[in-house]
Amino acid sequence: MAQADSDGVTDKRPLSPHLTVYKPMLTMMMSMAHRISGVALYLGAFLLAVYLLGLAFGPGAFGAVSWIANGFIGHVIVLGFSWALFHHLLGGVRHALWDRGLYMDPKGRELLAQATLGGGIVLTLLTWILSTLAS
Amino acid sequence: MTSRTEFISGRTGRGAAYVSDVSGAEHDRFMRISSWALLPLGLLAGWFIVGLPGKSFEAARAEIGRPFPALALIVFIAIAAPHARKGVESIIEDYVHDAAQKEKALLANKWASIALTLLWTLAILLIAAPK
Repeated sequence: MAQADSDGVTDKRPLSPHLTVYKPMLTMMMSMAHRISGVALYLGAFLLAVYLLGLAFGPGAFGAVSWIANGFIGHVIVLGFSWALFHHLLGGVRHALWDRGLYMDPKGRELLAQATLGGGIVLTLLTWILSTLAS
Repeated sequence: MTSRTEFISGRTGRGAAYVSDVSGAEHDRFMRISSWALLPLGLLAGWFIVGLPGKSFEAARAEIGRPFPALALIVFIAIAAPHARKGVESIIEDYVHDAAQKEKALLANKWASIALTLLWTLAILLIAAPK
């Protein structure tokens, strides 16, 4: 566990650029999107767990929780969850490439940020289209 | 420019990642290893979850109750929940500065991730159990 607040040398350390003083750029936005999508997935997984429990307990319980995946709201929730999932997943691939020192130059990292953003949307659409065709 | 310097960590060994060599190494290693597992598992779980909207009680049960989707979703949450726990731990450590609050938040996060895994797994076991 990080203990940066209590070791007494905090005041002497240089500060990293804060969100408020940092010029917005795509790589920074994608870094924030990675965290936000991660938290969204965590919260979404709780909703899905409630849906699955309803499904497990019987038709009565399912009727109370089926809004999580059915109807307009349900479709929005699952669409958002799947997009966050694929976006976060590709964000992980981006980090794996950066770990190996690849695509770290200005052009490369911009390209990767764009590829993650576009790839997440494409993967989401592709999954929904294939899923609709398969059902 | 690509970085050619090979990083050798005392804790994680000869590795690709430029990571902490102190207490952050375990966290970092877990996130990276679980990410590899979550690459195929996330795609699978995404596929099965996207198949749910619009399904009736019987249809959704039939889908999730098959052995492969059930197993994939259980293994997914068993790895995704601790991955989420560690991710949120980083966020708490970044933004919660009061020591007592931080401790409470970390504890709540720990038990939330455990509850998520157990409830999700229980639900799928009940759905997939032969009648």
